[in-house]
Amino acid sequence: MRAVIAEDLALLRDGLARILRAHDIDVAAAVGDPVALAAALEEQQPDIAIVDVRMPPTFTNEGLVAAIEARARRPGMPVLVLSQYVEQLYARELLLSGAEGVGYLLKDRVSEVGMFVDTVRKVAGGGTVLDPDVVTGMLTHHGRNQAMARLTRREREVLGFMAEGRSNAAIAGKMVVTAKAVDKHINSIFMKLDLPLDADDNRRVLAVLRYLQTD
Amino acid sequence: MAYRREMAREDADRAALRDVNWRMILRLEASISVGIGLLMLIIWALAGARHFWPAWVWFGLAIPLALQVAIRRGLRAPKGHRLLAAHGAITCVLASILLAIWLLAGARHAFWPVWPILGLGVVLVGHAWVRHALPTAREQALADRVEVLTRTRRGALDVQAAELQRIERDLHDGAQARLVSVAMNLGLAEELLSKDPQSLTELLAEARSSTLTALADLRTVMRGIQPPVLADRGLEGAIRALALDLAVPVTVGGEIPGRVPVPVESAAYFTVCECLANVVKHSGALQARVDVGYRGGVLSVAVRDDGVGGASLAAGSGLRGVARRLEVFDGTMTLTSPAGGPTVVTMEVPCELSSPRT
Repeated sequence: MRAVIAEDLALLRDGLARILRAHDIDVAAAVGDPVALAAALEEQQPDIAIVDVRMPPTFTNEGLVAAIEARARRPGMPVLVLSQYVEQLYARELLLSGAEGVGYLLKDRVSEVGMFVDTVRKVAGGGTVLDPDVVTGMLTHHGRNQAMARLTRREREVLGFMAEGRSNAAIAGKMVVTAKAVDKHINSIFMKLDLPLDADDNRRVLAVLRYLQTD
Repeated sequence: MAYRREMAREDADRAALRDVNWRMILRLEASISVGIGLLMLIIWALAGARHFWPAWVWFGLAIPLALQVAIRRGLRAPKGHRLLAAHGAITCVLASILLAIWLLAGARHAFWPVWPILGLGVVLVGHAWVRHALPTAREQALADRVEVLTRTRRGALDVQAAELQRIERDLHDGAQARLVSVAMNLGLAEELLSKDPQSLTELLAEARSSTLTALADLRTVMRGIQPPVLADRGLEGAIRALALDLAVPVTVGGEIPGRVPVPVESAAYFTVCECLANVVKHSGALQARVDVGYRGGVLSVAVRDDGVGGASLAAGSGLRGVARRLEVFDGTMTLTSPAGGPTVVTMEVPCELSSPRT
């Protein structure tokens, strides 16, 4: 697997590269600004781009903009956006560019190296992973629309874990229930949210996320 | 700016032209007067040069000229003193007229002009005294302004000092304390590396979790100083982002056609934060609405909710604090919150927009 890293702080750029290389992910290019990122993506055609939100020249959100542009040029291009702070607003904008192959995480999460590398692989494979902080924020809106209000507390919890990109087994482990119970919750969520059943785990997450986007 | 300078020059040109016109008219008038005066002198001489009556004609001709010159002089005084100067000039002319009449009449009678001249003098002195003792409207406005500036400056410094104190305390009790504990754990880990490698895992995990908490603390502090999304997206975008994070549904409407100056942006943003925090905490509202707009050089933001009302500036020091931040920019904040609701907080801040950042 080949990745391109865009991060303007050399310390963090090297750290990320080191972590990826240690887990057999090839770092095809590591750049420090959006222009170089666009060039590297064009040249390397990587399996995933890992992009910092704040980069030169204005040090605001050009990383986010670059990620969305990259996905406009190459639809479905997997992008994992990292940031020192997360905003629901940005998560929504990112998801509007298509909900497949999208990740949005606090940089803090990189310290859980195993999980971070899993996330990189998941996003490269077309999965969707949102930071728990974003998910928590999204779920505080449950009162906002009636469909979400129909979910039980337990079901909302399951939905949150799904949005973080966790598998059924992982959710079962987290909630200390059986996988079968999780299955039951998920089916119930789909019923209540009027979403068609689908065998593919990832698609279900995407469907839920799309729903969350349109509140 | 260039336009304004152009305007000023046109004004000056017009004034100069007026001046020239006036001089010409005065000169013409003076020549005609001298002509008439000479003519009268000739007639008097031809008529036998008895009682010298042309002096009266000269006197009559001189009055309008003298009055014109006097008023003109008075009006040329610096702004704010013109009225008094014109008054003074006219007084002089009137006194001269009275004197002239007395003289022309042969100066035989008692010196009666002393009384009217005294009266005129008293009126002039009275005028001068009133001018001196009472400030003009302009001076009054300036004095009021100084008072406002003094008050708001003190308020701004108080707010700033309190903010710095809060930030210091947050950093001290939060991130700094966590980093101290990380350093302690790592120090211990270093020692245990040779003695008891088994217990290392736990220490390292604890160090990592402390680091993460320190990061979260730092994020909270930074949001309190200047939320990154405000720099990223400006006031409108930051309010939209804020609205998404709240438990009460908040609709954001309106548009700002450009970028608000950073200090105003920050003050307005934290005012909205405070208002929405109050909505969530105290109002019991089911929904809220924020409207932003910019018209006629004034940024306006209105926050309304459908809660229970009864809010006041006195009750919550939070709102008072943000109102003081707005005052520094000559901004105003009004709160209407009848018991039973709805509560509406409106703020208006005069400012100039810059073009939107791309």
